[in-house]
Amino acid sequence: MSSAVQVEDVTKNYTTSVRKGLLRREKRVVKALKGVSFTVSYGEVFGLLGPNGAGKTTTIKILATLLIPDSGKATVCGYDVVEDPEMVRDSIGVTLTVEKGFFWKLTGRENLKYFGMLRGLSGKKLNERVNDLLETLGLNKLGASDRFYEEYSLGMKARLCLARALLTDPPILMLDEPTLGLDPPSAREIRNLLVMLARNRKAVLVTTHNMFEAELICDRVAIIDEGRIISIGPVQELKRRVADKIAVDILVSNPAIGLEIMRKRLRTVIETVGVGVDERGGVYVRFTCRSGEEDKMIADVIKSLGDLKVRIYRVNVEEPTLEDVFISLTGKAGEA
Amino acid sequence: MVDWRDILKAQLFSTVCWYRNNKWMLITTFVWPYLMVGTIFGIGMALGSLEEYAERVGVVNPALYLLASSAVAMSSVYIMYSITGFVLENRWIGTLPYLLLSPAKTHTVIVFSSLPDALTSPVFTAIAIIPAAVYFEGFTGALRIFIVLLITILGMLPLMGLSVIMASTILFLKEESNIMGSVVPFILLVSGVYYPIEVLPRVLQVISQFVPVTYVVEATKIVSTYLTSEARMLMVALYMIGLLTVGYNLLATLAMTKVERAIKSKGAL
Ligand SMILES: Nc1ncnc2c1ncn2[C@@H]1O[C@H](COP(=O)(O)OP(=O)(O)OP(=O)(O)O)[C@@H](O)[C@H]1O
Ligand SMILES: [Mg+2]
Repeated sequence: MSSAVQVEDVTKNYTTSVRKGLLRREKRVVKALKGVSFTVSYGEVFGLLGPNGAGKTTTIKILATLLIPDSGKATVCGYDVVEDPEMVRDSIGVTLTVEKGFFWKLTGRENLKYFGMLRGLSGKKLNERVNDLLETLGLNKLGASDRFYEEYSLGMKARLCLARALLTDPPILMLDEPTLGLDPPSAREIRNLLVMLARNRKAVLVTTHNMFEAELICDRVAIIDEGRIISIGPVQELKRRVADKIAVDILVSNPAIGLEIMRKRLRTVIETVGVGVDERGGVYVRFTCRSGEEDKMIADVIKSLGDLKVRIYRVNVEEPTLEDVFISLTGKAGEA
Repeated sequence: MVDWRDILKAQLFSTVCWYRNNKWMLITTFVWPYLMVGTIFGIGMALGSLEEYAERVGVVNPALYLLASSAVAMSSVYIMYSITGFVLENRWIGTLPYLLLSPAKTHTVIVFSSLPDALTSPVFTAIAIIPAAVYFEGFTGALRIFIVLLITILGMLPLMGLSVIMASTILFLKEESNIMGSVVPFILLVSGVYYPIEVLPRVLQVISQFVPVTYVVEATKIVSTYLTSEARMLMVALYMIGLLTVGYNLLATLAMTKVERAIKSKGAL
């Protein structure tokens, strides 16, 4: 099957004018995208990860046909975003900033119906779909379905926004920071929903600067900074690229045979293993290994410890987080 | 795919919801023509008598004429407010990108989403004026109002395309610039609503022939004075409205493709 989204060397400059004095205005060019390429397949959650102003929203807008790129080519569902914008729009569900974008004096249900009609739904099918979505996104549970949008909390707004993107059950979703401002349980609910959508063969493109979230739900991520994609791949692979060492800490019971003998025995398995006592008197075994080898090493060490009749309290594997990856690649600290 | 009927239906639905949720708005909508006409009368009386006005403008029943023609002119110009207002308001509350995500042509979305609002204005105005018309002229008055309403709606059609171009220009400039504030009074000035066209300078008289509201006012004048000898003139006025409708909207459609590209290249959405 062809990719759901294909972006090839897309560039975008914004030209703005900055006021200099009363009448004088100076042109300023913002290079928002400097040649971005990536693909998103059906059945995956793809994360576009980057700091503020990196070009995430710009990318989404181009793919949603709201913005025309300066150069490069982008296709969505096989349609060119510049040549066939109506076909593209017909196959996508989009959320831009989740905190606005509805009519204040209409209820959530009325808003959804309106946007459904704008997308060609009508009659019984529309009503059923709206009911389903109000239920799925928990707006019924929150008692928000028939309240005016102006009374909505941020979380309710975000849910309604996602409901709108799902109205036509589109094969491709483009969600700009879908969990912004949600409380942890709500964010988790939405994340689970996104993963489930991907399992149902939809292509889900999300932007976020929440590393934790990207790590949880994305099959692949692209890290974008200052209009360039600086790294792309499965989360695990990105981590490996940045940090090839993994530190393992195992907290164990005090060995009857004594620390020295335990250390000697363990060194027959891993040469560089360290054994020590921490400030609270806990005994630990510590070693580092190449990323990817940790599973086998841990198994070996645990087996030896078992032979020595040492009990294991806790195993702590210190992997780099996506945040480490992000910081090491962009030189900037992420928000989350 | 989605076509203009879906857009129109959606907007009618939301307009109905909106009025249902905002009853006060509905009430004030019916009252405003009286407020406006009252003001115009007030100024008129202060400056001279009704008879004098009748003589100047050349109509038999100045009261009804003034009522009808100002309502008509305002109403047919109102489509410009509807369309530009629609675009600005939706950009302001952040709904514009979602409207334009509808899988239809952008100008189709803009025009047909604005239409219910543009149409409710003259329809409500007509309903509001009918009591006054019946008071002055009985049943004939009501009938005239109805005909005038039809003329008004026809008069909106040529302004549709022009309004979309104006709305897009406002979007493109990315400033809530007050284009409407200068365009609308100008249109009203050259269309002969408040003064006969003959008193205008030569240049404005020529321009006035290309302004659809001129013919709407002309047609209204004929209908409200009920002169059979001028029935032919009525046909001419309607014909001109038709011609301008086709001409302006054709131009607008051609321009819109370019304008949409410009907006979407600039990042105005
Ligand atoms: N309409 C616009 N006009 C001018 N410049 C713009 C416009 N939209 C975005 N920019 C600029 O383009 C760059 C990329 O912006 P974009 O909104 O794509 O970033 P982002 O990755 O979505 O950031 P955030 O995480 O803050 O949402 C920024 O420097 C921004 O100031
Ligand atoms: Mg953004």
